[in-house]
This record gives sequence, structure tokens and C-alpha cells, in this order.
Amino acid sequence: MTELILSTGNIVSGGPSIIRKPGAFRSNLELTNSLRSNFLAAQEDYALEQAENSQSDDVNGNSDGSTNGTTNGTISGNGVANGVALDTGIGGRPPASVWTARRDGALYVPAIDWDAHGLQEEPAQYDITAKLFFLPGAPVSQRAQYAKQALEHVLRELRAPAVDLLIVSFPGMSFEGDCEWEADKQNAGQGNEDEEIATWPVIEELHCAGLAKKLGLAEYGTEKLSRFLQKVQVRPVVNQINLKNCCNVPPPLGKLAKEQGIDLLVHSDCTDILPEGTLRELLGPGLSGAGLLADPETGAGGLQGDLTPQWVVKYTAVVRDRGVIENKGYFAGAELAEE
Amino acid sequence: MGLLALGTALDWPDAKKQAQLVRSWGIKQLLEIWNKAKGKERDIMLWGDEVEYLVVTYSKDDPKILLSLRQADILEALASDKALSKARCCSDGSGSPSSQPPPVFHPEFGRFMLEATPGKPWGIGFRELLEVEPNMKLRRCIAKDHMLPNEYPITLTTFPRLGSPGVFTDPYYPASGSKLRSQFVPDEIANPHIRFPTLAANIRSRRGRKVQVNVPVFRDEKTPWPWRDPTVNYDLHQWPEDDDVRNGAAPDNFIHMDAMAFGMGSCCLQITFQAKNLTEGRQMYDQLSPLGPIMLALTAATPIYKGFLADTDVRWNQISRAVDDRTPEEMGEKPLVNDRWRIPKSRYASNSTYISEDPRLRPEYFDADLVIDEDIKQQLLDGGMDDRLATHFAHLFIRDPIVIFSEDLQELDLTKTDHFENIQSTNWQHMRFKPPPADNSIGWRVEFRPMEIQITDFENAAFTVFLVLVTRVILSYNLNFYIPIRRVDENMETAHARDAVLQKRFFFRRNLFPAVRAPRSAAGSGTSTPIPSRPPTPAGPVEDEYRLMTVNEIINGTAYARGTPTQADRDAAGESEGDFPGLMPLVESYLDSVNVDVATRCRLAAYLELIRKRASGELCTAARWIREFVEKHPEYGRDSVVGEKITKDLVERVIKVGEAEARGEGGMEGLGLGGLLGR
Repeated sequence: MTELILSTGNIVSGGPSIIRKPGAFRSNLELTNSLRSNFLAAQEDYALEQAENSQSDDVNGNSDGSTNGTTNGTISGNGVANGVALDTGIGGRPPASVWTARRDGALYVPAIDWDAHGLQEEPAQYDITAKLFFLPGAPVSQRAQYAKQALEHVLRELRAPAVDLLIVSFPGMSFEGDCEWEADKQNAGQGNEDEEIATWPVIEELHCAGLAKKLGLAEYGTEKLSRFLQKVQVRPVVNQINLKNCCNVPPPLGKLAKEQGIDLLVHSDCTDILPEGTLRELLGPGLSGAGLLADPETGAGGLQGDLTPQWVVKYTAVVRDRGVIENKGYFAGAELAEE
Repeated sequence: MGLLALGTALDWPDAKKQAQLVRSWGIKQLLEIWNKAKGKERDIMLWGDEVEYLVVTYSKDDPKILLSLRQADILEALASDKALSKARCCSDGSGSPSSQPPPVFHPEFGRFMLEATPGKPWGIGFRELLEVEPNMKLRRCIAKDHMLPNEYPITLTTFPRLGSPGVFTDPYYPASGSKLRSQFVPDEIANPHIRFPTLAANIRSRRGRKVQVNVPVFRDEKTPWPWRDPTVNYDLHQWPEDDDVRNGAAPDNFIHMDAMAFGMGSCCLQITFQAKNLTEGRQMYDQLSPLGPIMLALTAATPIYKGFLADTDVRWNQISRAVDDRTPEEMGEKPLVNDRWRIPKSRYASNSTYISEDPRLRPEYFDADLVIDEDIKQQLLDGGMDDRLATHFAHLFIRDPIVIFSEDLQELDLTKTDHFENIQSTNWQHMRFKPPPADNSIGWRVEFRPMEIQITDFENAAFTVFLVLVTRVILSYNLNFYIPIRRVDENMETAHARDAVLQKRFFFRRNLFPAVRAPRSAAGSGTSTPIPSRPPTPAGPVEDEYRLMTVNEIINGTAYARGTPTQADRDAAGESEGDFPGLMPLVESYLDSVNVDVATRCRLAAYLELIRKRASGELCTAARWIREFVEKHPEYGRDSVVGEKITKDLVERVIKVGEAEARGEGGMEGLGLGGLLGR
């Protein structure tokens, strides 16, 4: 069992991965593109750094470098994971040990230099929103752990004591149809309400611990929302829905939201934001992959086993009075079970 | 227009003698502000829009539409009404409870004009963006309420028959007054406040002749060719300047105009942004600069001058020429003897330099021949200003002050900025970089000035909101729009062409993002970057950084433009040189990243759709709409002449559109607006 933590870094100045395809509603392209480009950039950056170190320190390429970026002893002593030598470069890529890191039992893809992170001004200047996606293949029983882990990473990345808004997205739900009216009806039977309500105390706990000032939901139609509100202690104050072309909030939902003091916000995310196949491709040996996973055809080295995406968290820090997005990015958690 | 001080205005020969004093005091005042305000930090994002109106008289039975010259009375009626916001206009059906104090009305150069601004600046709350349109409607409604029943505020950029033979003002005054000496418009066309006639007279006097505003005429099937402006009188002998037309001031195939009112009588839509600090202000100034010509072409609304269809679509160059105070020596027509330098552009022109200390700003982007006053630059450097900003102000200060009040010359008051503003505010470039006022109470600001006013407040709000969002996108994504400043000049010229939005291509930067991804740290501009960044890519030739693009590509992106090709897109087909993301997809990406409620996002979507379709040609510009209105009019003889009946019907339509818009949604049917607004 290996826990993988994937990250995009700050994507607002990252170029093409933020560009929205015209008309492409509900997409995970931003996540997948920015992960891919961050992997690539990390491979280049850390390979360069290593090359510089090996020259200046006159030590071999497998040393931990020790002088810079990759803190926490991430490389030294961890040359072997899953019984596979990670030091072997695959397909011209630098070896995984160079650009990934182990910390607290998890493999960080890529390695993160936490010292360089944080916001430019004090956290009070920002509106920080985190959106947590519970993914369909992951066990519901672990959600407390996922939520904690996801939020911890966001707060560490931004060096903020809390997020202003934590939005939760449950699997198996969507707000789609010919028009929003239709979407609202279809929505009523979607998801797994028992699981969703059972999960909520986990989120409430984060709120009570002061880590999330306000809570929100995603993709809740009128019926689901009204049932949900009756069963929870700490009520969501936001419901994110997806809009297609018609731009009409179904009147029952609008009315309910108004009565209950819930803001209806817009989003354009996929609910199933990181399917297993996508993740495998991102980490795999293919042309667009990071070369972290073993190549089943050639048997070339790398990580092996079943991959299960568990959670994704998207975070955004907007300078409050200026409407400037200073930091936006994603973390994703996945489990690799050795065969 | 700022506050209008009263006093004794000096005529040109006397003003000229004081020019050096005003400049030197202006520089001292500038340094005073600079030292006080250079460290100002964390000002919040505030912004304001300015809408300008023409006031016309119209009644159904009167065959004539006239410009009302009652500006002063209307302003007085507005000023004396303390309960502006309680007017009947509040029940406009917008339903949005506004926290705004009543709007503010200002005089403008033209005595037939009015300017209105919101009662206080806007912030960046997204719901606040939705208050802009109701507020603009409120302004129009309040203005109308303080006019005579037959007077209407309209938002056409120019009055189609300004300067045409016959009567076009109410009341009527004869032309050829002593101040303007125009053979087409009376002195009374200008705001009577001493500042304005002095401005016009001193520009003319400094220049040594009248201003020459020549616009190419649109050649229609039956337009005589070569075309000689039939309204020009070559036989006037009242003023020395009457010789101008006999000396070639009115060339063939151009509509000839000869007074400041033809330019400064145009209405535009201007937006001013407050930056968080000096650095951000300079960044916004530079990055918005290359967008100026694009937004000018996209807002084109000025196809008629003096009763003729023009071959251009925008007002810009006409204003530029209408206030061009350069002498023949400065213009390069005579050897430099008395004047200090040749000056390539009018005081009203596109920006001539960049001002940011951005490392992405390459030396090649500057104009190597920028004219500056070296002594003034040295004073600014000695006073602690950096080279780039000192260069900018030393360029603005090559101009003479035009209007000087003798009362202001008694002693230098460093708690004021009047002398600095005298030069600064008569440099009408397409961007204006505004230092904080003397009391330092507000921040560094940047004014975006090229956009043309639109017929409806829906459109004016759409362009305003779009530009506000674009500034947030620029700052969030740290976009880089730099191209050589001379290319921005060229684009400004290109923007004038008839239907430039669909027919022309503009120089624009290929890649708005850094060539190398920023270090993977959160703090983009943090001081420590422990992760080694790759060596900077050696900068290639500047010419490779940009290419010609259509407005469709620039606004909507290459992918969208391929699906909705404009004529310019088709012309460029086959020489496609790489994809461009488009400003609109970047705005959408920004909106996807911030928390916006459904109703707000939908309203914003309507604005963005208008811009998108204007850029792709799915909707037409006001200029195209007006041209089509004229072309389809039964009285139009295909000879470029826009007669009184056509003018009346056009303005009547515009008034009806305004009334329908004020009544609320749905009243626009039958007004022929489908092609303009798409609804």
C-alpha cells in the first residue's frame, strides 16, 4: 500500500492549463493538464538541480543533494519503493527519486518544497475556497481521513489557518438535463443520500475545529437539498450547481435557497474529476504520462499495482477587495495497492 | 472634466510666456505627490465609469432634430435637486436596491453635452458589477427628468449633422465667431465657461491656423469622384484663418471640419481603475495599452460627420486633429527655428511609451525616437523618480499648457496639483496614468480612454464590465500583452478603417504567458525561490513575439474564430501561425475560479455574449448599424449624403431605443436592433 499525493502547484500563472476550451462545460481538463505540466516541470527542475549538485558536490546522482529544495530527507534512504528501484530513469525521463518525495508514509508526486509556499499577504486579506471531491471508487468509511488530509494539504500550501468556504462534492451526482428544470428533477434520485448524510459530521468537525469557516455542497437539487437540511447540524450556506445554456435556476430550488439563506453558486467541474483510467494515464509510461508506473508491455521498472483515486481538492485564494486570484491549485490523493 | 476653476485666462501670447513657469511648478507638484504617494500600498480595487451624452431636441412633428445648448441650465437643474435619487427614475424596475448615492453630472466641452458618473466608485464584488447597468439607466433617466420635455440625452458618439449648413443648434447662432473662427460651427457650440473657449482659441493660436479635421468620405455608388466637400466656403474673408481652405486645408475626398468642437464634441466611454499600489498601476497601464486599439475597433460607432458618411468608423483621429496644437515647425512642415523639437503626434493620441519596471518589458518595445524634455527628466530623477516614469512625464511635459489663469501664477502651492494637472490633463492619450491627488486620499489610478460610447446602456455596461474583468484576468494570470509601442500606434490607425473589427488584422502578442512556468512555489513574487528555475530562455527576435490577428481571434480565440470566421479571418486563412487562447476564454476561466452566484453569472454571460458576437461579426457594431440604417433609408441617394430627414429618423430611432430600454426588457421589438444586440 502506497499513498500517493499529487499536486499541481499554483496554476494561475501556469499558462495553457488554465485556458478554457470554448463551450467546454464541466470538464476536468484543468486538473489533468495542470498535473501533467507540473510533473513535467518538476522532472526538468529537479533533474537540473541534481545535475548542478552532482557537479558542484562531486557526489553521484543518487545523493540527496541536501542543499536545497527537496527537504525532509525525501530522497535519501528511499531509493526503493515497492521493491522497485525508483532510481532508474524511464524513457529518457529523470528517475522518480529525483522529482518525487516520501514524507509521512506518502509519496509526493512531485516533491513539494513547502518552505517556498504561502500567500503574499496575511490570510485575512483573502477569500479561500476549497472544494473537496469524494471519488466514486474510494471507500466511504475512509472519508474522514480523506477530508482531513485534503484540507491539511491546502492549509499547509497556503499557510493559512482556515479556509473561508469548504465545498463538498459527492460522487454519483450531477445537475444535468435539457434545462435546469430537468436537471433538478433528475437530481432527486441521484447519489447515495445515506452515505452523504453519514459523511457530513466529518465535515462539520472540520468546521467546529475552526478549519473551515463556512460549508457548502455541490450539485444538490431541490429535493435532495431540503431533505439534507433537515438532517444535519451545521448547515451548508452554499450550493454549487452547474449551468448549461438556459441560465434559469429552477424556481423551486431558487425559492428553497432563498428561504434557507443558501447561495447558489456556479461551477463547471466534473463530479468524477479523476477517474482511475485518467490517473493511470497521467502517471503511466505513455507519451503523456509521467513515467512513474511500470510499463506493462515492456515490464520496464516503476510502480506496480492497482490505483484507486480517493479524493481531489481544488483550492483558490482570491484577494478579497481586489478580485485577483493569487493562488489556485489541486491536490489529489490515491492509493496504490501492490499486486 | 475636472473641477472648473474661475479666473482670468491668458490669451495665447501671454500664456506662452508663462509656459515654462507652469511646467516647472507642475514638476515640483508632481515630485511632491511622488514622494508622498510612491509607497502607498494595498489600496482596494475601486473603479468608475464615465458616460457622455449628446442633448438633442426632438418632437414628432418638427422635421428638425437639433442640438440643445442648454447644458448650463440642465446642470443647474440637476445641481439644485437635492433629492436626485428619489426621482421617479428609481422605479425603473431593476429591483436592485442600490447603496449608491445619486449620480454626479459634469459639464463637457460641447455645450450640447453632459457627462455622468456614479455617485461613488464601484468595487469588485460581482453583484456590484450588475449594478452598473441599472445605474447607467438611472443616470440617463435623471438627466432626462431635468430637461425640457422635448430634450433627450442620447449616446451617439457624434451628432450626424454637426456643422452642416443651416440650423443644427437650439438656439441658433451664426458661425464664424472670434474664438473658434470656424466656418461651420458658432463659438456658442462650446461650453461658455472661460476655460473652453480659451482652450479652443489658444490651440488655434498656438498652431497658427485653425485645426484641420479631415475625414475620408465614404465613396458610394453615386458619390461624385473626386469628391469636394460641398459645404466648404472658399469665399470668406472675415478672419485671417479664412485663408486656410484656400491654402489647401480641405483636400479632395475628405469631409473638412475646422474646429475643436468636431472632436471634443464626441462622446466616449471611459473607465478608471484604482491600483493596489504604484507597481500594479504601472503594470495595468502597460498591459491595457495594447488592448486600446482592439477595444476601439470593437466599439466603433462613428460613421457620419457633418452630414456625410465617412470612410472610417471611429472618432479617435478626429479628436486628435481637433485639438492638435502643434506648430508647422513641430509638425515638420518648416525647419525648426523657434520651436524646440519635432513632435510626431497630437496631444490627443495613442500612448507613446510604456512605464512599468516589469522585467518582461524589453528595450525593443520602446520608441527610440520618443521626444522628451531632458531637463525635466533630470529634475524628476534628481527628485527620486525612477528613469522610466521620469521619461513618461518628461514626454508629457514637452507640451505647453494651453489654459493658464493669471491668479494661479502668484505663488507655488505645493498642497495643490493644479499646474501638474494643467499639463497632465491636456495630454489626452489612450491611457492616462493618474497619481493620487494632493491629499493622497486615493490611490494610483489608470484610465482607459479609447472606447466609443454605445447606443444602449446594456452595451455600455457590457463593455465596462468586460474591461473590468479583463483587468482582473491580467493581474491574476500575470498576462503579458507587450508589443513594440509603435505597433500599438499602427493598430490605432488600423482601428479606424470601416468595419475594421471584421475586415482588419492587428498586431498582437502570440503568447500571453511566461515562456517558462513560474517556480512551483505558491508565492508568485516571493523573495525566496529555493527551487532552481531553469535558465531563462534567451529572448528571440521581438518580431517573433507577435503576429497579425483578427479581433475575433484576439477576443474569442483561434478555435472559436475558425468556427465563426470574419472576412479578416478568411483573408488570414492558410497563414495561421499558431493558436491564440482569446481574451474571452480567459475571462471565462477566471469566472470559473471565483465564487459567483447563478443569477450574477447569467447576467454577466449576457454581457460577454454581446462582446463575443461583436468580435465574431454575429452582431454588428453601432457604426455598421448606423450605416445600414442610412443605406436602407428611402431618402438616401447612394451619394454619401446624410440629409436632415435621415438624421431625424436615425436620432428618433435612437431616442425610442433609449425609451424602450428605460421601460425595461422586452420593449425593443420593431426597433431593428436584432443585428445590434441579438435580442
